[in-house]
This record gives sequence, structure tokens and C-alpha cells, in this order.
Amino acid sequence: MAQSVKPISSPVPDAWYPTLAVFMLAIGLVVTASFFIYEATSSQRNRSLARELTTGAVASVFLGFGSLFLLLASGVYV
Amino acid sequence: MREIRLDLLLLSLALLFAPAFSDLLLSKVDRRIDLTSHVVRITSTLKVENAGTDPVSEVLLAFPDTQAKNIAYLTASTIEGKGKTKSSSVSLPIQVVHPDGMPPSLTWHSVSLLKGLSKGESLTLDVLAVFTHTLRPFPEKITQAEIQRVAFQESAYYLSPYVVKVQSLTVKHSGQFESYTKLENSRASGSEIKYGPYENLPSFSFSPIVIHLVNNQPFAVAQELVREIEISHWGNVQVTEHYNLIHGGAHITGEFSRLDYQARPHVRGASAFRNLVAKLPPRAHSIYYRDEIGNISTSNLWGDSTKKLLEIEPRYPMFGGWRTSFTIGYGLPLQDFLFQSRGIRFLNITFGCPINEVVIENLIVKVVLPEGSRDISVSVPFAVKQWEETKISHLDMVGRPVVVLEKTNVVPEHNQHFQVNYKFNNLSLLREPLMLISGFFLLFVACVIYVHSDLTISKSSTAYLAKLQWDEVQATVQQVLNIINRCLTIHGKLEASLRDLSRTGDVQACKSARKSADSSLKELSKELRPVLILLQSSSQAVQILPKVEELVAKERELQEKLMLKHSTVVDCYEKKSGGREVENRVASIQQKITALRQEVDDLLEIIDEI
Repeated sequence: MAQSVKPISSPVPDAWYPTLAVFMLAIGLVVTASFFIYEATSSQRNRSLARELTTGAVASVFLGFGSLFLLLASGVYV
Repeated sequence: MREIRLDLLLLSLALLFAPAFSDLLLSKVDRRIDLTSHVVRITSTLKVENAGTDPVSEVLLAFPDTQAKNIAYLTASTIEGKGKTKSSSVSLPIQVVHPDGMPPSLTWHSVSLLKGLSKGESLTLDVLAVFTHTLRPFPEKITQAEIQRVAFQESAYYLSPYVVKVQSLTVKHSGQFESYTKLENSRASGSEIKYGPYENLPSFSFSPIVIHLVNNQPFAVAQELVREIEISHWGNVQVTEHYNLIHGGAHITGEFSRLDYQARPHVRGASAFRNLVAKLPPRAHSIYYRDEIGNISTSNLWGDSTKKLLEIEPRYPMFGGWRTSFTIGYGLPLQDFLFQSRGIRFLNITFGCPINEVVIENLIVKVVLPEGSRDISVSVPFAVKQWEETKISHLDMVGRPVVVLEKTNVVPEHNQHFQVNYKFNNLSLLREPLMLISGFFLLFVACVIYVHSDLTISKSSTAYLAKLQWDEVQATVQQVLNIINRCLTIHGKLEASLRDLSRTGDVQACKSARKSADSSLKELSKELRPVLILLQSSSQAVQILPKVEELVAKERELQEKLMLKHSTVVDCYEKKSGGREVENRVASIQQKITALRQEVDDLLEIIDEI
């Protein structure tokens, strides 16, 4: 019965959820801002699709994790 | 009362003609009946002796049918070891059997012994039987001012297929009783009524007794309880319990006077109950108590390191026949309840209801496992009906698997731990953030598509063409500005090299810096030429062209002056003249340089604004 029975807990410690949520959302919003600034200031000719997509990807990763930790920190254990 | 007596009389007549059975002999039977709560608990200690020759491996327990349908929980255990070396009791398996040649209207349970009882050996068996709905309220309807009395029927002699040598019966109650059937050797003392000891009674002996007593304990009966246990691997087990309670005692007739009840609750409303206490695990958090209307604020919570006690008060006191329904929810930390062993995860949690002394007529336990769990199996210490469902919850794609366990007639003895085993790959945890990330990424892609797309209807109108040309002009101006900015950085490098010279005195490094600056400036001016030509040729750039040309001219001037200054300073250093001389020679040039720089900056700003 007691052959290596270990309790399972979350991969990220519970106490870090609010801090992680704030930092990841902040970084995500900064990268989103840089994405939109690039979109607004570049003209049709020297817009680079690769740069747009990478910025969008990085921003969505940070925003995705940030919103997940925000949900967890506010008690909606998804 | 008359109808009860007739039923039992027929049963006892039938039993009188029953044959003796088997070789077992019960040398001593002690029965204790606990009537202090609305759940009846009968503990029988049987001393079984094998009076025959063959080893016996099962002991039969008999219950009349009327009693047997109210059995909620039946266990038998035996204590290993004798005398001072008594170790813990071992519980034995019990099954329902249907032996032949037995008197009718009896239900049989067979206790299987661990090792057979051989000839002459004896064994002590502890049988606990828990009955629900056996205390009949008598009278069945009372007013608010009356106390609740119940009637309980039993047999003074232990009903058994074996011969019983010595037996006794003790009935424990809350202290007040109305009447009891007086047999020989029966007496009432304090809060107990004793029958016995009776000796050498034949098998199937039965003597019905009725005890009429006062019982004001809360008769909390939950007609339906749905317990939902949702596991989230991010660190929480959420338990939500929906109750449908009814007061199962004597129904109240007449009016309910709130004034009387508030003034003297123990006289007017002795049988009512006001609050219920639930025992929750020690680290329960986010506890709520609400019903269909909203939050119910009449609740208290206190606890220590072993448990948390939640005392809840329904919106009104519960009198006989009244109903209420509410929901209790709480969250539990994951590491107290979810464990892993050899690649299989299992949840270890209590099955029944945390509220004290509640009889549940229909208990449904739903365990919601996270998406991506497979190979689900359940192990419960008693018989339940189980099936699987799906529930769609937060961030789900296909839905979470739900194991539903259903049991009827549940008493607090059923509040044992049960396990749900399943397999889960930790990578499936990433499914949820990936869903959020892809959602945000789609937003960005939509933005990119919008910016790149050309939604004009007419591609040959003059306004559209003018706009295209203006876009080109803007791009060219950006290029010019870019080149100018690069020139400015090279100027900055030159200045830096001059400062280095004044610090280290290394003339050679300064000269080489000058050479590289020269070559890069030449390259930049070469780049600038075609761009300027493009700008001059386009018609839209008429307004901005003079400013750009001014900018280029000023920048060229600045370049020349800077070169002049640089060579002057280097000369001075080569001639090893003092610092003051350097300053003097450079002074006028420096003034011009600063003025030019200011103009260049202004022009850059103006062009930016256009």
C-alpha cells in the first residue's frame, strides 16, 4: 500500500500564481504594444511579415500564460 | 399498535414451527441497541462455538423482512488474539444468501469466517447493524408545543437459527420514555432498559417488544444529495454538495407561531432543529453556503489543525415534515487528496456527507476528472451503482470524464474513504494554456491580415492612385531619414574618438577612426543619391522635397565642419601644443557645428510630423 505513494501537487507552486500572472501579462502587453506600433508606423513597402508574425507569436504566448495564471489566481481552477 | 402486534405474532407463530439448524452454538449473546439518535444502531457480540464435528466457515444472521429492508449498514468483525494480546479487529465479508428449508419472511446474511471454526473451537463476533427509518413517530402528527415520541419494535430474544445459551439485551435511550413491553427479567434504570439474561432458548425464538420513547434529536433526512468533486491538476479539488433536506420526524399540524418559538424554543418546538454541523477537512478554503435565492449568511466556521467545523443554519427552523434545500461548496488543496503510485494517480476522498447524523435516501457522488484522463477505475468499500458521463467545463474541447456513483440509504457509517484511479499524462496540462495562446495568436493574425489587405473597391480612381503615390513618397522619405540618422551616428563616433584622444593621447587610433568614418560617409552619400532622385521624380513629394533637400545640404555642411575640426585637433596633438591652443582653434568651428546640429534636428522633427 505504501510503496512510494507520493502526493501530487501543481507543477507551479500555488503561491506564485498572482506574481506570475502580473509579470506575464505585463510583458505580453508590452510586446503587444510593440506589435501595434510597428503596424501603425511602417508603410506598405517596408513591412516585414516575418517580424509581424514573430512579434504576434511572442505576445500571444505571454498573454496566454498570463491569462491562465490570472484565472488560476482568481480561483477559477481551470 | 394493534396492527404491529398482529404482524409479529404471525411471524413468531411461523418461527415456532421452524427446525433447528446447524451445529453452531451461540454460548453468549450481548445486544446493545442505541436509540439516542434517529439512526438505530444495534451492536451484537456473539460468542460462537462449534458444537458439531465438521469445521464451519460461515455464520448466518437472520433479520425479519420488515427490518431487513431498513438495513443501511451491516458489518461483522472478529478480534484476533486472546486475552491481553488483542490486536485490531478484522472485518469479515458478508453476503446475502437464500438457504433452503427456512421459515418465510426472513432475510439471511452470511458472515464468512477467515479460517474455519473446527470442532470445539469458539470465536467472538461483533456485528454492527445500522437501521434507518425504524423509529416511527408515534403520534405521527404533533403540534408545535408537543414533544416528539417514537415507537421502536424489536425482539427481546435474539432471532437466530442457532441455539442460544445465554443472552441479554440493553436498550439505551435519551432519558425519557413513555412505556416499554414488560417481560420477565426486564427493568428500566436511568437511561437504559435491560432485558435478560435469558438462558437456553431454542433457535428462532422471537418475542416482540415495543418501546415508546421520547426522541428530540434532529431527524435530518436528505432526500437527495448530489456531491460533485472536481479535480484540477493546477492545485485544487472543489467539492460542491447540493442538499434536499426534510425533517423526518413527526409532522407538525396546526399553526406555527414564530413568537412562541423565539420566546421559548425548547418548549415550543422541542423537536425542531435549527442548525447542522458539518466536519470538513482541515485545509478547506473558499467555503460557501447558498441556496436558490442567494447566499445564506447564518453560518459559522471554526476549526483547528485536524478539522474545520462549519455550522449552518437554514433560513427557518426545521419542523416535522418541512423541507429545505441548499448548496455547500469548498475547495481542498490537491496534495492532501491526490496521490501517485507506480504511474497511476488516485484520488482518496470520503464518500458520504460531512454533516453529522444525516440519513441520505439517495446519494449521488460525481467525480469530475480533468480532460485527458484515461483508464478510470473506482474502488469503494461497499456496493454502489456506477456509470460514466461527460461534463463540459472551463477551457474544454471534448469534455471531462465524470464517474458517477449512486447509493441509497446512506448513514454516517458510510463516510469512509474511496479511491478513483486513472492515468494522466502531465503534458496534457499544457492543453489549456495552448488553447489560450492560440486564441490570442488568431487575434494577431487577424490584425496582420487586416493591415495587409487592400479593401478599396475601385483600383483606378484618382484618389486611390494619389494615396499609393503618397505611400511611396513616405517610404522614400523614411529611407532618407534613415540614412541621415546613420550619418549622425558616424558623427557621434568621430566626436567620441576625439574625446578618446584627449584621454589617451593615441593619435594613430584617432586617424584610423577618421579614415573609417570617411569611407562610411562616402558610402552613405552614394546610397542617398538614388533615393533623392526617386523623390525628385514623384509628383506627390512637391511639398516635402525642399525640406528634404535642405536637410541633406545642412548635413553635408555639418560633415565638412566636423572633418575640419577633427583634423585641426589631430594636428594640434601632433605638434604637441597645449590644451588651451586646441580650444582656441576649435572654438569657432565648434560654434558652427552646434548651430548646424540644432537646425538638422529641427528639420528632422518637421519632416517627421508630415
